[in-house]
Amino acid sequence: MPMVLLECDKDIPERQRHIFLKTPEDDVRECLPIANVPTIPGSLSERGCAFCGAKLVIGGVLKDTIQMIHGPVGCAYDTWHTKRYPSDNGHFPLKYVWSTDMKEQHIVFGGEKRLEQSIHEAFDEMPDVKRMIVYTTCPTALIGDDVKAVVKKVMKERPDVDIFTVECPGFSGVSQSKGHHVLNIGWINEKVGTAEKEITSEYTINFIGDYNIQGDTFLLQKYWDRLGIQVISHFTGNGTYDDLRCMHQAKLNVVNCARSAGYIANELKKRHGIPRLDIDTWGFNYMAEGIRKVCAFFGIEERGEELIADEYAKWKPQLDWYKERLLGKKMAIWTGGPRLWHWTKSVEDDMGIEVVAMSSKFGHEEDFEKVVARGREGTYYIDDANELEFFEIIDLVKPDVIFTGPRVGELVKKLHIPYINGHAYHNGPYMGFEGFVNMARDIYNATHNPLAYLAGQDIRDPTPLVMPERLREVA
Amino acid sequence: MNNVLDDQLDELYGYIEERCLWQFFSRSWDRQENIDGVLDQAARLLNGKGPARETPMDNLFYADAKILVADLRERFPWLEDAGEEEIRQLCDGLKGRLVDVVITRSKNRELNHHLY
Repeated sequence: MPMVLLECDKDIPERQRHIFLKTPEDDVRECLPIANVPTIPGSLSERGCAFCGAKLVIGGVLKDTIQMIHGPVGCAYDTWHTKRYPSDNGHFPLKYVWSTDMKEQHIVFGGEKRLEQSIHEAFDEMPDVKRMIVYTTCPTALIGDDVKAVVKKVMKERPDVDIFTVECPGFSGVSQSKGHHVLNIGWINEKVGTAEKEITSEYTINFIGDYNIQGDTFLLQKYWDRLGIQVISHFTGNGTYDDLRCMHQAKLNVVNCARSAGYIANELKKRHGIPRLDIDTWGFNYMAEGIRKVCAFFGIEERGEELIADEYAKWKPQLDWYKERLLGKKMAIWTGGPRLWHWTKSVEDDMGIEVVAMSSKFGHEEDFEKVVARGREGTYYIDDANELEFFEIIDLVKPDVIFTGPRVGELVKKLHIPYINGHAYHNGPYMGFEGFVNMARDIYNATHNPLAYLAGQDIRDPTPLVMPERLREVA
Repeated sequence: MNNVLDDQLDELYGYIEERCLWQFFSRSWDRQENIDGVLDQAARLLNGKGPARETPMDNLFYADAKILVADLRERFPWLEDAGEEEIRQLCDGLKGRLVDVVITRSKNRELNHHLY
């Protein structure tokens, strides 16, 4: 039976539709975990909210834009700098956070004046910054503050500024995914095509769905520069507000995160005739394939082959060193959605690792189609897993390392299983050739570090555990 | 379709299923467009003909098909001996299989939503 009812879910049997075990006996196409639906009451979900999907994932990455969060201060703090996206102008997105700091009186009497005052204050305090995104949150949406009217008034008073409004309160969707969608569609409707930039190359792309986690964008930009490709906009790693207004000028949309940013790539194809090319940027084999495809599109294949040869010569020996030591290690991936299908084959092919369980917080059924097609048999595929399910799955598959976020990571650490931050990385970047070596190194360090073993040891125990050989060697 | 061709089709499909993101685009019409576009270009390349490169979408399908064909040739040496008719049958068979799996029988409930 490929759809699995775990023991811990016996009181919420609806969860069976969300958990899939791939077996050789079943036609996997007849089964797909149900996804992007409301969390079942009784299930302690690890999901974030819709506002978080817009702000933390996409908008907050921009390096020249004030992120004005119209709501209580916690909404701002909880979506600030946990994603580790640096920028080349002094890490602007990591340094600052803005909030209208709504209090009870503003909820009772309305928060529009408070918002207007906060916008002016932010621009006055940062006179060099002329761009802003304003987000509604649950309380300001519920009391009906007319954010767009306030923004319109401010833009009339300050003709040198441009402001984009994201009306996506936390409750507006089942997970972060709704926020991705609202920001994507809002941006294409209101901002794309409102600015033009100088074109410096006949090869132009938008690089979509890369958020410069620990420098991913910086690393990939070296490749585009070497290939002579002008990146019109980064959606949104190390990106700027005005570059995103110029997305219509690119000849090709290269998409990494199809979940958070596939919408805008689809719309750019539909409205502006710009083709959408999906690639994987994690992994040697995948990255090389992505570069080859981009170069084939533009007819610059030789440049691509030179780049790939140089990068392989430089980084492949290091990757192979780790692969030799990671062969057969078992890994679980419990992240947002796309990293499941981006990573499962790349760690298997490039590092010799078996991915034994995967869970997605906000993936859609499309993501499960991809990951089930790519993933191994005997692996569990779970939508919106809860804490008890994590415990039970760990017992079933016994992973050596788990890629997940800090919240679940803390739970995992208490079980003395190494955890690596699958959202913000431990020591990234992880994309590209150099990045995948970083990822392999983090997995090696995690699985060969004796700390997890030592933390599980009770020194009062008269029959202490014997430290495994591989840990004794590195201890 | 004879047994040999059937087995060959299984091999090619198995590779595409695991590897190619273009089959899993957001909506049924995107998937259909990609399946037709990439496999038409792939058939031309496998038959030693030049690719169509008139439009941006031609270039996109060529980019995907070029890498696909190189991978298939490397993994399945029997492709070198396939004649034009056999390649046509294989590509038509692949189209049919892909449409059946990722469109017709797909359990993805968003495939036919009229908006993105």
